[in-house]
Amino acid sequence: MDGPSPEPGAPEPGTPKSGTPDAVDRAAVEAFLYREARLLDDGRYEDWLALFDEDGLYWIPGLPGQTDRFGAVSIVHEDRTVLRMRVRRLGHPRAWSLMPLPRSSHLLGNIAVAAAGDGTVEAVAALQVALYRAGDRTRYDGRQTMRLRPNGGDFRIVLKRIDLIDCDGVQGVMPVPI
Amino acid sequence: MPVPRDSSSQSGASPAIGPAEIAALVEPDRVHRRAYTDRAVFDLEMARIFGRAWIFVAHASQIPRPNDLIRTRLGLHDVLATRDGDGRVHVVGNRCTHRGTTLCSVERASAASLVCPYHAWTFGLDGTLRSVPHRKSMPDSFDIADPRLTLFRAPRVADYRGFVFASLAADGPGLEEFLGDMTEALDNLVDRAPDGEIFQDGGIFRLEYRGNWKLHHENANDTMHPGFVHESSVNAAREDGRDYAEPVYDEHQAHTQLLSNGFSVREWQSLGLKGLANGHSYMDGFYSQGVLSPDRDDPLSRDYRAALEAAKGRAAADAILGMDRFNNLIWPNLNINAQYQQIRIVQPVAPDRTIVQAMCFRLGGAPEGMFHRAVRFLTNLSSPASMIFADDVEIFEKVQAGLADGSREWLDQSRGHDAPVDAGAGGGGAGNGRLASPGTSELPIRGQFRAWLDYMTA
Repeated sequence: MDGPSPEPGAPEPGTPKSGTPDAVDRAAVEAFLYREARLLDDGRYEDWLALFDEDGLYWIPGLPGQTDRFGAVSIVHEDRTVLRMRVRRLGHPRAWSLMPLPRSSHLLGNIAVAAAGDGTVEAVAALQVALYRAGDRTRYDGRQTMRLRPNGGDFRIVLKRIDLIDCDGVQGVMPVPI
Repeated sequence: MPVPRDSSSQSGASPAIGPAEIAALVEPDRVHRRAYTDRAVFDLEMARIFGRAWIFVAHASQIPRPNDLIRTRLGLHDVLATRDGDGRVHVVGNRCTHRGTTLCSVERASAASLVCPYHAWTFGLDGTLRSVPHRKSMPDSFDIADPRLTLFRAPRVADYRGFVFASLAADGPGLEEFLGDMTEALDNLVDRAPDGEIFQDGGIFRLEYRGNWKLHHENANDTMHPGFVHESSVNAAREDGRDYAEPVYDEHQAHTQLLSNGFSVREWQSLGLKGLANGHSYMDGFYSQGVLSPDRDDPLSRDYRAALEAAKGRAAADAILGMDRFNNLIWPNLNINAQYQQIRIVQPVAPDRTIVQAMCFRLGGAPEGMFHRAVRFLTNLSSPASMIFADDVEIFEKVQAGLADGSREWLDQSRGHDAPVDAGAGGGGAGNGRLASPGTSELPIRGQFRAWLDYMTA
């Protein structure tokens, strides 16, 4: 997949950077990733939404290696103005596909962290999400690419991209953000 | 060549069901649950409906060059729509005539021939067997031109303005007769392209639900459901304070799409539903309600209108952009939204399993932004994560589950049954068997079952 990975010539993700001006606090990035996943698993969607920066984007491409966000279909392609409606709907008592609300379990692995050059940090991880709702289990597998902007000792999400291994395959309903 | 029938083998012991038994399943204002749950009924649907009607299989732009092919379905059959070296389009079985092996495992390809991965039997894109390895070990009676060694070929393939349909029946009404006035919807989609060509692009959604294929069609022009099924997404948009002057990446498109299901019952009632022969139907006057009007006054819309007027003239552009229909259903497998250049294809899998494919088109000669608008519309309405479609699918599955245990025998379809149906005029130029009713009627569902009975019992 040729997602928003580092530009040619940029260091491979995970290359040690200590001592350089771009030094990335890997532990802090990982802690942020785990917190973001935990908020989803705990159903704290308003708090999850607050992690996105003003220009933050949540993107699940519909094609493998998709580079064009506008000229090709996406499973999700939402900025904060749309995401806040999505989150609002999650709390509605008659959102039928959310009744009962699904439970999820996120697992992140193979995390690689690198400075992205524009002051942001890119964290690429293998992602597995198990979802359970009303007797049905679903698994989502893919690669998560997070672009994070440092923000007073914490981070804000500029981009959360998930490349599902079956993004162009036959899908069921994806009822909640993963 | 006999039509291959494998559905009975998939179903195990599936007792045949006779015409009288089928006819008893449909009454004017109700339908028996077996029409949705019974394997024998489903098998008969595949033979009598999907085995005879014109089924949309591909768009010509998906196989633009000689030797292009796309994998698709014709009823339950895995088929390839191909364009041979001479540019002719064929629909052939994706099964080797030697051992039944699946020939093509990718969605799209370009190849001068189809080579079986098992023993390299090689077929032309028209389905004829071209070569087999080590021919001298075949018996003397082996004749490479034997029709039995040709790939299964759909007996009839026809194209209406780039929309390729196939029929498994050698005889029957021609494509245009089958389409009737639904050609107007296909015309309108194509005519929206300033240069007269449309191109499927940008990927395809494939969503599977655990419900009968007819449920999707019955929902398409049912205007009583949105206020209830989509309440959560309508509400999310309504409560979302926003400033339309604020530029956002999607031109507030998601917001307006969610809102569009929030018509009042009175507003829905003011729409016109049109029912045509063969189960086709559409909703009239949807966009004139204003919420979702695609003919907007913004720079992109103005540029697009200018391109269309330059190509076709002012009056023609007015007529093309003025056609105001939603969910043009060409029963039994195609649904068209011309305004946002998209279609859905409904593919039965089993009595309680259906795949919906959704895709959109680029308008040749239109600004690229028009395609981006179509892509966003498709994502908002037909993605597996759609805030709208997810609730429709949930309801289809609730209906299917509700019918499965046999405790409910009948489904009601009586709304509007006793209201006068306008078979003469009815706005938008009725006639030719076109029935018109107010927006809340279940007329389209009754029309689908009239067609269903015709196919199933004749």
